[in-house]
Amino acid sequence: MKNSWTGGEAALAAEAPVENLAVAVHRRENGAFERLIDRFEAPLFGYAHGILQNAFDAQEVVQDAMMRAHRALTRQYDEARCASLALRPWLFKTVRNLSLNRRRSKTRALEEPLGSFDDGRLGPFTSGQPSDLERREETEMLRRAMALLPVEARELIVLRFMEEMSYAEIARTVGGSEASLRGKVFRSLKLLRDALEKRGVAHAM
Amino acid sequence: MQCRSVLTRVDALRTGELQPDEAGEVRDHLRTCPSCDESLGDLDQLAHAVKGLAQPPPRSCRDAICDRFDSVEAAGQRVWVAFSSRGLTMIHAGGSAEEFRARYAGHAGRELDHEHLPERLRRQVAAALSGEGVDDPQLDFVEVTDFERKVLEILTRIPRGEVRTYSWVARQAGRPAATRAVGNICARNVLPFVVPCHRVVPTTGGVGNYAFGAPVKRDLLEREGVPVEELDELARHGVRFIASTTTKIFCVPTCRDARRIRDENRVPFRDAEEALKKGFRACRRCLPAAA
Repeated sequence: MKNSWTGGEAALAAEAPVENLAVAVHRRENGAFERLIDRFEAPLFGYAHGILQNAFDAQEVVQDAMMRAHRALTRQYDEARCASLALRPWLFKTVRNLSLNRRRSKTRALEEPLGSFDDGRLGPFTSGQPSDLERREETEMLRRAMALLPVEARELIVLRFMEEMSYAEIARTVGGSEASLRGKVFRSLKLLRDALEKRGVAHAM
Repeated sequence: MQCRSVLTRVDALRTGELQPDEAGEVRDHLRTCPSCDESLGDLDQLAHAVKGLAQPPPRSCRDAICDRFDSVEAAGQRVWVAFSSRGLTMIHAGGSAEEFRARYAGHAGRELDHEHLPERLRRQVAAALSGEGVDDPQLDFVEVTDFERKVLEILTRIPRGEVRTYSWVARQAGRPAATRAVGNICARNVLPFVVPCHRVVPTTGGVGNYAFGAPVKRDLLEREGVPVEELDELARHGVRFIASTTTKIFCVPTCRDARRIRDENRVPFRDAEEALKKGFRACRRCLPAAA
């Protein structure tokens, strides 16, 4: 076995439970909300950008989500509810809803739903050791390939491989069962590979 | 287990998210299926490459959500001051820092963190507290309606040392009947001292109410040079305007032009109609009547 996937022991990027940020914000501890922003702003932006494919819109969505989160944590939720809140999926879900609303309000071409793609076997996908320039080009190609994916595939790739969420957390964020999400993540990754192949980069990766 | 079922489970196996028996089946299959193993190598690389796509946001949303606060002491008074990158957002006298932060969150829906108040803003607050008046204060009105903003802006233009009535402000704001609304806006003014709601008084005389008590309002006005007792006297006699027989102009009593009219040339009026009827015109500086 040559890949890290089958090793089985890669750790997920777990939330470091140094403090319960939701409770700290609820109690209006000095600097608590700034810590929350610093911790989640970049990942939430990555997620919103994954859905919207536009930095300006993504920024606005994140800001809106942060304001809503602040209002909820300080004014709407009591301390017990804050203490039991799964903060990360909750924030991601807010960003997801706001992003999808914004996306819907902008008329765009319909994209093919994820389910309609076949999930057949993957072809060979070889690689050597790329140079820095090659790597930069590959990153750019990858970015473009991501943009070609249906939004459903893109958001799952962001959540699983960029944000390194567990399937349980992804289920909390986007809904659905863990088993069905495992299939969808796999198909999303395969779609991404197909998109790269169409652009003739499969063998450069 | 079929290849297809295996492939959709491998990612979860990698992170230890499979049930032990399921994980065992997947491992068993991979040991005997080179095709699956190869596919995984490809996806593994792709997943790693995707991680490198993460981009930071162009700018932080901190500024839009978090403001700062500090305290200012001047003229024997200590106030809490909240500010944003655009200017002063709230001033409050008394209470603890925690109470002020809670008050602010309730008002603006934003969090406050302690930071040194920029010197320019500090000078403005200190000048307002000591009755020196502030030219062109740097203000950031948060959560205000259009009418509220209009009224607050009119308040900042009432000159130091002068007062106006609630009905005068309502008329200037284009809603002459909204006297009570103006009173409410003054009452909930979150930038007292700097937005001089203390310079608005009832038509019936006296200094009227104030968030920090009528005596504080009276003190503040006296410090700004308003002849408060004289005003009380005028109000007792129903005098609302002062006219000059030499210029044929009538003013509100605290207008600086009215205050330099000599005693022998002063004519008191109860209402503007009467003054107009007698051939006086309204002062263009203090605007005592509708144009």
